[in-house]
Amino acid sequence: MRKSSILDKGIIIVIATYLLIPLILTFIYSVFNEWTSILPSGFTFKYYEQILSDPLFIASLLRSLVISFVPVLVCTIAMILVMYVTTLYFPKLERIIEVLCTIPYAIQGIIIAVGVLSLYSGIGGILSNRFILLVGTYCIIILPYIYRGLRNSLHAIHVHTLIEAATMLGCSKPKAFFMIILPNMVSGIVVSMMISIAMIFADFVIVNIIGGSYFQTASMYLYKAMSKSGQMTSAIIVILFVTTLFVSRIASYLENKSK
Amino acid sequence: MKNKKSLIALVPFLIIILLFELAPLVSIVVRSFSPIDGIGFTLEHFIKILTTDLYIDSIKGSLIIAMVSSILGIIISFLGAKAVHTNKRTGKFFRTILNITSNFAGIPLAFAFIILLGNTGVITLFMKNLGFDLLKVFDLYSLKGLILTYVYFQIPLATLLLLPSFDLIKKEWKEAVQLLGGSKFTYWFKVAIPNLLPSILGTFSVLFANAIAAYATGYALLSSNAMLLPVRISEQFVGDLVQAKEFGSALAVVLMLLMVLATLILSKIQKQGEHLQ
Repeated sequence: MRKSSILDKGIIIVIATYLLIPLILTFIYSVFNEWTSILPSGFTFKYYEQILSDPLFIASLLRSLVISFVPVLVCTIAMILVMYVTTLYFPKLERIIEVLCTIPYAIQGIIIAVGVLSLYSGIGGILSNRFILLVGTYCIIILPYIYRGLRNSLHAIHVHTLIEAATMLGCSKPKAFFMIILPNMVSGIVVSMMISIAMIFADFVIVNIIGGSYFQTASMYLYKAMSKSGQMTSAIIVILFVTTLFVSRIASYLENKSK
Repeated sequence: MKNKKSLIALVPFLIIILLFELAPLVSIVVRSFSPIDGIGFTLEHFIKILTTDLYIDSIKGSLIIAMVSSILGIIISFLGAKAVHTNKRTGKFFRTILNITSNFAGIPLAFAFIILLGNTGVITLFMKNLGFDLLKVFDLYSLKGLILTYVYFQIPLATLLLLPSFDLIKKEWKEAVQLLGGSKFTYWFKVAIPNLLPSILGTFSVLFANAIAAYATGYALLSSNAMLLPVRISEQFVGDLVQAKEFGSALAVVLMLLMVLATLILSKIQKQGEHLQ
């Protein structure tokens, strides 16, 4: 074996170890009673039982799932409608749409969250509803990802040829878009939706600023648990991490399939 | 006529953009120049930021952590991506690890490091049993600790961003350098790295923006003791402190400026690099 190849393998192993240790350790920590000497002692699943039987945790987990899903759905529908208008009727609008959709990427979530909260929190009416504010803010946070996913899957198919063919056969343009183009984009759309869901699910910054005590999600439950029990916290982390992993695995599975 | 009707389909998008992107941004900028609970124009918030140690230290802290963690992150990720490039089989396994660990950030990450290296962390106790006081050399609840955790979440992100650009490197280049009598060193520093430079700098700016605005990891590790700009910003809006939207907005504007500045500097370096070529 060549010397450089051994060196490269060594580098991979060192980095992989650094990345995996905290992850594996958190898991081990969650299934033992104690870890004060070299090896942990008292294997148990009781922390998982405790958490999964806590109605507060289940409620916060459900809230997390709802708030991860709703903005992604809203944003995707709004974005599909935009693509419909720009591809069929006003291609010139594409530039400005692109700029609007990349702004959130450059400005980080915390700034948008702070802006939204200070603008709407005291004004009353539907806009001061924390759930609505969260949905709106998350829509903006995930916008760059949804936009890019949609645009890429739109460019991957021959949109104009397809629409031309359909209209020649007597199909109307809107019908051609929604019945022919859209079904061809589905796998690409689902991938960017999944990535966005995983992003929101793991978020703490935005929900901590906007949701506060009004809308407790799983990451806020986790933050509170940190000061109570180490083992319990580890178990929550494992549960949340497995959930995130599950969602992002589905995404990469679909991505590979569509290739 | 029919074409114009289709513009109705833009309404949902425009409502979202207007209410949650443009209006909040404009309001932050306007508010940062407004006196507290009043109308008018003032620079008092910015003056206060630049004359109070707490805020200066937080800006410095954020800048140092963003710089150091991005530099370390990019070096480690470069080595990692290079290793994957030459070792296709091990690379696949490494890619999976990167994909998995890229989801491990924020509070879970901070907590994992606490149980590993915190005051009663597994490694800390293990070292103590050996008669070695780790806390004297390495304190997790300090700038060093923050950098260690930040580097952790930078590595998967940076490596995944760098990997595609390594595919652009052509085998012929290496052969050409060898034929002309160049060493490996010449190959990497005169041929490969200059060619990868645009994507290295691009990745660096993503890392920098990511680190300077990161909140959860630092907050979970040090709570409000973290000398970080995002922590100062959020405490103006939530928590026990007297809330001051105008002052918080000014802090947010400072954060935005830092990010814009970093992007400008990097794109300037990139342009100069292109000139040299």
